[in-house]
Order: sequence, then C-alpha cells, then structure tokens
Amino acid sequence: MLSQHIGAICKPVVNKRDHIAAGQLIGNAEAFVSAPVHSPVNGTVKDIALQSHPVLGRAEAIIIESDEDNPPKQPCPDKFSTDFDPSRFLPEQIFDAVRKAGIVGMGGAGFPTSVKIKLNPESPINTIIINGCECEPFITCDYRIMLEWTVQILTGVSLIGRALNCGNIYIAVEDNKPDAVAAFEQAIRKMPSASSMKVVAVKTKYPQGGERQLIKSIINKDVPTGGIPPMINVLVANVATAAAIAEAVLLDNPLTHRVVTVSGGGIKNPGNFYAPIGTSASHLIELAGGLNDNAVKIILGGPMMGFSIADLSTPLTKTGGAITVLTDKDIVKRKETPCIRCGRCVEACPVNLNPTRIAHAVKHNLLDAAQEYYMSACIECGCCSYICPADIELSGFIKTGKILVARQKKLMPK
Amino acid sequence: MAQNITVSHSPHIYKRHSTQSVMLDVIIALVPAMVAAVIFFRTKAIILTLVCVASCCLTEWLCNLARKKPNSLGDLSAVITGLILAFSIPPTLPYWAAIIGSVFAIAIGKMVFGGLGANIFNPAMAGRCFLTACFGTMMTTWTVPATFDANMPLIGTVSEVPAAITQATPLALIKEVIKNKSTEQDENIAAIKGILKNMFIGSTGGCLGETSTLALLLGGGYLLIRKTISWIIPVAVLGSAFICAFIAFELDPHHYVAPWIHLAGGGLLICAFFIATDPVTAPLTKKGMWIFGAGVGALTMLIRLVGEYPEGVMFAVLLMNSVTPLIDRFTKLTPAGGKPNA
Repeated sequence: MLSQHIGAICKPVVNKRDHIAAGQLIGNAEAFVSAPVHSPVNGTVKDIALQSHPVLGRAEAIIIESDEDNPPKQPCPDKFSTDFDPSRFLPEQIFDAVRKAGIVGMGGAGFPTSVKIKLNPESPINTIIINGCECEPFITCDYRIMLEWTVQILTGVSLIGRALNCGNIYIAVEDNKPDAVAAFEQAIRKMPSASSMKVVAVKTKYPQGGERQLIKSIINKDVPTGGIPPMINVLVANVATAAAIAEAVLLDNPLTHRVVTVSGGGIKNPGNFYAPIGTSASHLIELAGGLNDNAVKIILGGPMMGFSIADLSTPLTKTGGAITVLTDKDIVKRKETPCIRCGRCVEACPVNLNPTRIAHAVKHNLLDAAQEYYMSACIECGCCSYICPADIELSGFIKTGKILVARQKKLMPK
Repeated sequence: MAQNITVSHSPHIYKRHSTQSVMLDVIIALVPAMVAAVIFFRTKAIILTLVCVASCCLTEWLCNLARKKPNSLGDLSAVITGLILAFSIPPTLPYWAAIIGSVFAIAIGKMVFGGLGANIFNPAMAGRCFLTACFGTMMTTWTVPATFDANMPLIGTVSEVPAAITQATPLALIKEVIKNKSTEQDENIAAIKGILKNMFIGSTGGCLGETSTLALLLGGGYLLIRKTISWIIPVAVLGSAFICAFIAFELDPHHYVAPWIHLAGGGLLICAFFIATDPVTAPLTKKGMWIFGAGVGALTMLIRLVGEYPEGVMFAVLLMNSVTPLIDRFTKLTPAGGKPNA
C-alpha cells in the first residue's frame, strides 16, 4: 500500500519483477506531509496495481511475493536498555531517522510522525501525551506492547521529548490496566532518562483514546474545533509509534511490522500477532485459527470505528491495530424508527454536538443546516449510533453529510 | 471462506435497547400509581384506564390506516398516552368523555403532526385540556376514595349522594380559602395540613393516578435508576415549584399552605416524573431541560397561587411545550473545542 498515512501518496521506486530485500525502500515520499513505505520481506515485485484499501476503497499498492525461505523478523524489545541516554542524538537526527523509517501515527490516524516531531520554534510543544488508551472493545495490541516492550516504548518517548525539547511528558493508560501502569512506573524508576515522565491512569471509557478526549482528561484543555493539538502546544503519540521511533533511531529499522489484534467472537483462536505490514486479512485470520461458522462481519479496526471489509485480500496497514470479527450474535438487525428526541445522543456525544439535529438535516439534504450545528466538528466515534434507541444511524448520516459537503466545496470553490 | 459477510459503516455494535423498551420502562414505572388507583378508586379505576388505553390505541391504529402508514402501536407510546390521560382525569368522569379525550389526545395531539416524535404538545395533556374545555364540571368533580377513613378530618362540603361521596381535592379547597380570604376557614387549613399523610399514601380526592405520592415516587425512582429519564427535569420542576411555594408560604403562612402540600398535590409529581419528561415535547439539551423544568414548576405555582385554577399542571406543561423549540434554539450546543473559524 502506497497510501497508509494522511498526506501525499508515495511514488513506487521499484519495478515489476525486481527482487527486493526486507527493509528496502519501495515507495518514496516526496511531499513533506507523507511517509515512505518499505518492504517487510525479501521477495519479488509481482505487480504494482490497485488493491482493496481499508479506508480508501481501492488504492495503488506494490504486490510482493515473499521468498520461501524468508527469515521472519522478530520483535526486539531486549535491544533497549534502561541506561539509554537520548542526548546522544540531535533533534535533527531523530527527525531524519523517523522520516526515513516511514513512521506514522499507529493508533489509527496515520499522520506522519516526522511532521509532528519537527521542532517548531514559533510554537513549541510544551506537553507530550503518550497514548496507551485503546478504548475500543476487543483491541489489546497496545496493551501487550505496554507490558512486553515497556523499555522500548520509554526509549521512544524520551526520543520524542528530546526531538521537541520538552520534558513535560504524560503516559496515559486506562485504569482497567493496572499492570501496564505498574510496568511503566517500575521501568521509569530504573530509567534515568525517563525520570520526568508521569504515568496517568485515566478512566476507562470510549472514546478515551481519541486525542481530543485524552488531552481534555489529562490537562483539561480543549483542542480548538477544526484544529490540531499543536495549536495548544500539545503532542499526542501512540505507544506503538513510540516503540517504532526507538527502533528507527537506535537500530535504523524502517517501520515494516506491527502488532495486530485478531479477535472477536468469530475468530477461533484470538490473539495478538507481530505481522509484516501488507499481510492480507485472510492470512492473519488463518493465523488466528480461521473463522467460526457464525462470523458475519470482518472489521479492520475495532467495532466502534473500524471499517468492515468485503475483500479479505485487503492488507494490513501501518495504522491497522486490529481485525475484529463479529458474529451473528453481535450484529443487531436495526430498523430505523422515528426520533423521540430522548437526547441520549446529545448526552453521549464526546464533543458536545447535537447528533440528531445534524443527522436529520443531512437526511433531508439540508447541508447548511447541518453545518449550523457544527457537523464538521464530529470526530466520528459512533457513540450516537450506538446509543440511539430509535436505531437511527446518526453517525452514518453525519459522515455522509461531511462527504457531501467536501464534494460540494470541490465543485464550487470559493 | 464461504460465509456471507456483511459490510456497513461503523459503528458495528449497538446498545441493545429500543424505543419500545424505553416506553416499556415508563409503563412499568406507572404500575405503582396504577395499583394505588385501583386500591383507592376500585373497579372504576380499572375500567377508566382500560377505556383510555384501548381508545388511544384504536385511534392510533385508525389514523395510521387512514394515512396509509405502517402500524406504530408497537412503540407503546399510545399505551403511555392512554395511561397518563386516565391518571389525570377524575374517577367520576363518564366513560364516553374519557373516550373523547383519548381520541383527541392521539388524533389531534399526536397524529396530525406526523405521529410519534413530531408532536408539539404532550398528547395526554392535549386530550385533558380538551376535556377541561368541553366538560369543565365533570373534570372538577371528585370522589372520596373507596378507602375513605371515617376518622379522617372532613374538609369542605362533603355531600352524600346515593352513588358516591364527593369531595374537593385539597388544593381546590385551598383555592377557595385564598379566594374568599375568610378567616372562618382557618380550621380547614389546619385540617388540610393534617392530611399531608393521606396525600403521601394517596387516600385523598383527586385525579385517578395523581393522589398517591408514594406510588409516584416509586415509579419516578425506577425511571431515574434505569436512566430512562434525565434527573434534570424532575429536579427542575419540583425545585422551582418548591421555591415558589416556599416564598409564598414564608410571606403569608396564614394564607398559603406549606410547600410540601403543593409538591404532593394536584399532579405535580406525576408531571415531574412522567409528563414533563416526555422526551418528544421537552428540550434536547441539559440547559434546555433546566429552563423547561423550571418553567413548568414556576408556571404551575403561578397558576395555583395567583390564577383561577387550583392545580394548573396541565396548562404549565402545555405552555412550556409550546416554547420547547425556542428553548432548543437558545440553548444550541457549542462544540467542545469552541466554534470553528468559518
């Protein structure tokens, strides 16, 4: 996949039938807001063609046939030690390594990390929040690495701090994972470079792991609507991203593998897998024992915000933390009934919107009215649809409305 | 992989409840009041309630048939309208009048607006309002409960007629006192104060389902625990009514009765928990709910203390219903991150 991030698509730099090595650059990022792509395996380029993409529908991809005798890449948390000193590296070195490794926000957003950690003297970052809140049901990949790769994550975190020259660092973990909190605290005590980091147990609720919600929980500040955290001098990075940074800077490894949770009632042996990015969903499901007979929905991501797929050849991307397979028992047949204005969606909305009004406006094609209720501020968490007793697909209507507005704007530029 | 796979947008999981289950909760919460009504008004209570519920459901069914719309009885909202209407009419009301009220409540109060979710006024209150306008006397004729306690202080004119003993409601008596400003009725006031206990249990004159404070509190508590209703509206209604009654009582304790009597009497409780909380006709936002509830409470007390009617809950609710769209507009929410820069 040449588009696994927010920003410009990569340009393939290999040709069909080329033999490539693991870690070799295959898609080059030319724009500033972009991230290069590397081959996770030794293999042959089979094709450069359109391929099912979890978010974009179809997108250009380099299809690699792996060599038969491919040595699998192993996770390397033991290569990091507590006596690590980030001042060995200059901020520019860290930026270059992260940029070269193609690291993007691995929590799901996929924003190129290099852009985020570039020191901006005009508006310096004064708070760094490391996001260890997965918050969606079923997903446990971040939880596992917090327990197993603790020092590697802290190494990455200290590198982020070094790159941005910021010592005010919070590590946020949901309070239903006391063992992860303890693991961090224990490692921080042993690690001089991490001594200024604070581990915070935040309330376990959805969508706690959304960056706006997390910032609100930890420093009680709101990110301006339509804005991004650097506007209030905050940076949020996922724990998996931090681990990838550590690997990129210290070991010069590009981002080619990630941990993915394959779970849900429709999976025979749910678990977490350290998998090459680009692995097809069907292969990951096979590794987890295959599907149960009652599996009816395959989702890349979690059940609240993930994308259900029809094509199981859809590959794992850098942002894909999970494959969740739901069964016929999880799926509720819904039939929309009239809104009784009960206000549950209003109460559930984490960004204080009025979902029923927006959805109603979109339904009647009144996009201006929908905008008046701040449709664009929706974070698409799905809480409103989840809670609606009248079975109205509020979140679906709002997402549709946002797409319609985007199209309208392109058709009629100001 | 031979399975059929479903594809849709997120979210993929949902809370398992429905409009029907929400309405069912309200019906369950009305059971204690129903039991109290049966205890105090016997078979009359059962028949009146059945008549109201049946005619509400039948009207809704016929309206849908006429509008060529799918049957909507399954959402149970017509049952609730029937129950609330039955609970807010006097037990002496003839059945034919109850039927007229039910038909008006559903046909004009709800269906002409487009059915559930689209009505401006609480259907049950619209029906009751129609009855009050058409059959004023019938709507203010009360019987003493069947459990009439001979030791209970007799208040006002108790006329014994072969069929039933009629008795005014505590609040209607208070109104008389206020209107006449007579000192001779002082003992009546004292007597009213003495029956606060009866009001708590429900053995006083009044509408079918509004007399028992205990039963209504039980039902209201159930709704709050189940989070079927927001606590804001009941608190706002009762709070503002209490404050108004308290001020009046403090200014002139000789003339006005203690605020507790106002809270317990005249349907304020059934209003606070079951009528003002009707989601369709109440505001959507928290701030809006506060304004709405406070308005209902204050208007009720204004009508009781200053106006002509002794009870006033119905008009207060209908008036506030009519300004709900305005309240919603004034309390429009701002996104958590502030207004976006255009």
